[in-house]
Amino acid sequence: MSHDNTHDHGCQCEKESLFLPRQAKILHTSKPTESEKHFTLQMSDGQPFVFEPGQILEVGVMGYGEIPIGIASSPTRQGTFDIVVRTVGRVSTAINGKDVGDTLTVRGPLGHGFPVDQLRGKDVLVVAGGIGLCPTRSLIQYIMDTREDFGRFVLFYGARDPLQLLFTEDRVHWRASKVVEYHETVDRADVHWTGNVGVIPTLFHKVHISPETRVVICGPPVMFRYVIAELDALGISRENIYVDLERRMKCGVGKCGHCQINDKYVCIDGPVFTYAEIESLEEAI
Amino acid sequence: MTDRYITEEAFGPFVNAMIASTRVIGPVAKRSTFAYEQLESESDLRLDFDVTVLPPKKVFFPPAQQLVRFDGDTVEGCIEPVDTVLLGVHFYDVKGIDMTDFLFRANYADYNYLAQREATTIVASNIQAISPRAFWDSVGIEVQPKGHDAFLTKIDGGYLLETKTAKGDALITLGDFREATAGEVQAAREVNAAVMGRCPERLAYSTDAVATRVRESFGEEEMWDELAERCFSCGSCNTVCPTCYCFDVSDSWNLDQKSGVRTRYWDACLTREFAAVTGAGGSKENFREHHSSRFRHRFMRKTTYLNEKLGGPACVGCGRCSRACTADIADPVRVITTIMERTS
Repeated sequence: MSHDNTHDHGCQCEKESLFLPRQAKILHTSKPTESEKHFTLQMSDGQPFVFEPGQILEVGVMGYGEIPIGIASSPTRQGTFDIVVRTVGRVSTAINGKDVGDTLTVRGPLGHGFPVDQLRGKDVLVVAGGIGLCPTRSLIQYIMDTREDFGRFVLFYGARDPLQLLFTEDRVHWRASKVVEYHETVDRADVHWTGNVGVIPTLFHKVHISPETRVVICGPPVMFRYVIAELDALGISRENIYVDLERRMKCGVGKCGHCQINDKYVCIDGPVFTYAEIESLEEAI
Repeated sequence: MTDRYITEEAFGPFVNAMIASTRVIGPVAKRSTFAYEQLESESDLRLDFDVTVLPPKKVFFPPAQQLVRFDGDTVEGCIEPVDTVLLGVHFYDVKGIDMTDFLFRANYADYNYLAQREATTIVASNIQAISPRAFWDSVGIEVQPKGHDAFLTKIDGGYLLETKTAKGDALITLGDFREATAGEVQAAREVNAAVMGRCPERLAYSTDAVATRVRESFGEEEMWDELAERCFSCGSCNTVCPTCYCFDVSDSWNLDQKSGVRTRYWDACLTREFAAVTGAGGSKENFREHHSSRFRHRFMRKTTYLNEKLGGPACVGCGRCSRACTADIADPVRVITTIMERTS
C-alpha cells in the first residue's frame, strides 16, 4: 500500500471509463421537419465504425449530456453514418444547435439491432411510425443495398400529418423503386395531400401480407398494440415479429436502470426484441 | 489465508497503523445512528454498530461520481482510485457489495466503479448489535457472503482475524497478531452462529417460494395499489438499499464555461420521472406512471427479476428501507408476507 494514497493501476487503457465518448464530425445536415435535424457524421479519429442495422448510439454534447439515438443509415454505406434528432429537451436542443464542421460525441454502437441473418431469404415487412422510420432506415437501406439476399420487401410508413414525413428524397426514391413496395399514410391530411389517410393499421387492408413474412416494427408505443393485432389476424408467428423499443436509455451499457423492463435492459438486451421474447413481460408494450 | 488473533489492547494500535498507511473507512457514531466515514483515529471506530444509515456501496459508487471530464472538445477519463481499507462490514452488506460487484462487472465492465472496488480491502466484522428492522437471518440464506478480504470477530479478550485473500493477509503485518488457537477459531464460529435467529423481523418463506408468488402477483393491481397507497415516491428506500445501483448522469460546467465534468448521481426507480421519456412537442411517455407500478417494480427487482443472475434475491435483509420509508410501507418482510398470505 502506498503512502500517498493513490493507486497505481499501470496502463489505464484496458480499464478506461465506459463513459468516454468518441468524437464524430458533422459532414452534412438538413432539416426535414420543423423539429427534426438529420446529420451525416464521420468518426474524427479515423478508426473504423462497425455497427449493425438497428443498433443505438449515445449521442451528446459535452456540458449538456447524451441521448440514445438509433443509427439511421446502413453499415453498407461506408465511411459515414446518419442520425436524426428531434428537438424535445435540453440535450437534443444542444445537439440540434450544432452544424457542419462541429463535432458531436458518440458512444457505441450499443445493443442488439435487427437480426439481419434471420431476415435473409425471407419476405420482410417494415412498419415504421413517425420518428420510428429513423432506426428502421438502417435496415431499409441494408435490404435495398443487398436486395437479392431478401424475398419480397414491403415498407409501411405513417406520420401524424404530411409535414411530419421524414426523408423526402428517400420517399421519392422508394415510391419509384421496383425493389421495395412502399406504402405511406398520414393520420390527418392537409389540402395538398392526395395519398392514404388513416393510421398505419389501415394499410394492412390494402396490401396482401403472407403469414410467413418477417415483420419489423418501430414507432410510438401506442402503435405497437394495433399493428400486432393486425399481424395476429394474418397468422404471423410472434417469433417472426421484431419490435424496436424506445426507453430512457441513459447509460446505454446496462447499468443505470432507466430502461429496465422486468430483468431486461432495453439498451443491451434490445432495443430490438422478438415479440415472443417480450409479450409476457409486463410493461413492455 | 490464515486465522490470526489480536488482543483487545493491541487492536487499537493495529487500526491506527492502518490509518497511518492508508485511507480507512469504518462505522462511526452519528448521535443515535451510524455511518461509514473515514477514520481519523481508532477511537472513531464503532464495531458495536447495528446498521449504518447508508450502505458501504458509497465507497465504490458514491452518491456523486465523476465519470469523464471535458475541456472544449477534449474528453478524458477520470478514474482515480484511492487505496482504501473498508473496515467493519456486516455479512449482509458483504453480500450486497458482492451483488453490485457482479452487476457493475456484467456485460460492460464499469471501471468507474471497479477501479475503486479493486483498490479496496474489505474487512468484514461480526454483528455485535442488531437493528430493530433487521431480517438478514431469514432472507436469501442460501447466498454466502463472499468477496471480502478478511473477517474480524470479537471474542473474549480480543479479535480473531480470518484472512481470505492476499490483500487480507497484507494487513497482518500492521498489527501484533499471532496465530489463533483452535479454541479461538471455535469461539469466533460460535459468536457468529449465536447471532443468527435473533433478528426482530422474520421472513417465513423460502427464496423460491417468494420469487414465484411475487412474480405471479404482478397483475394483482388492487393489491399493489393498496400496498403502495401511501407511497410518496421519494425514493428513500432506493437510496439506502445496498443493492440499488441506478443512476442519473448530468453535466456541469466550470467557471471558465469551457471545461466541466460529467457526473453520475444516485437515482431512484420510485421517483415519478424515472422511466419517462420526452416525445414530440414535449409530450411525456412514462412507462411506469403510477406510484404503485414503481413500488411493484422495486419489489420485483428485489425478490425475483435478478435472482437467476445473482443466485438469490437482491435483498440482504438489512432493514434500512424499512427505517428510511417516511410512510413506513417499504418493509420487505411486511410486503412479502402480505403477498404470500393473499394466496394461502
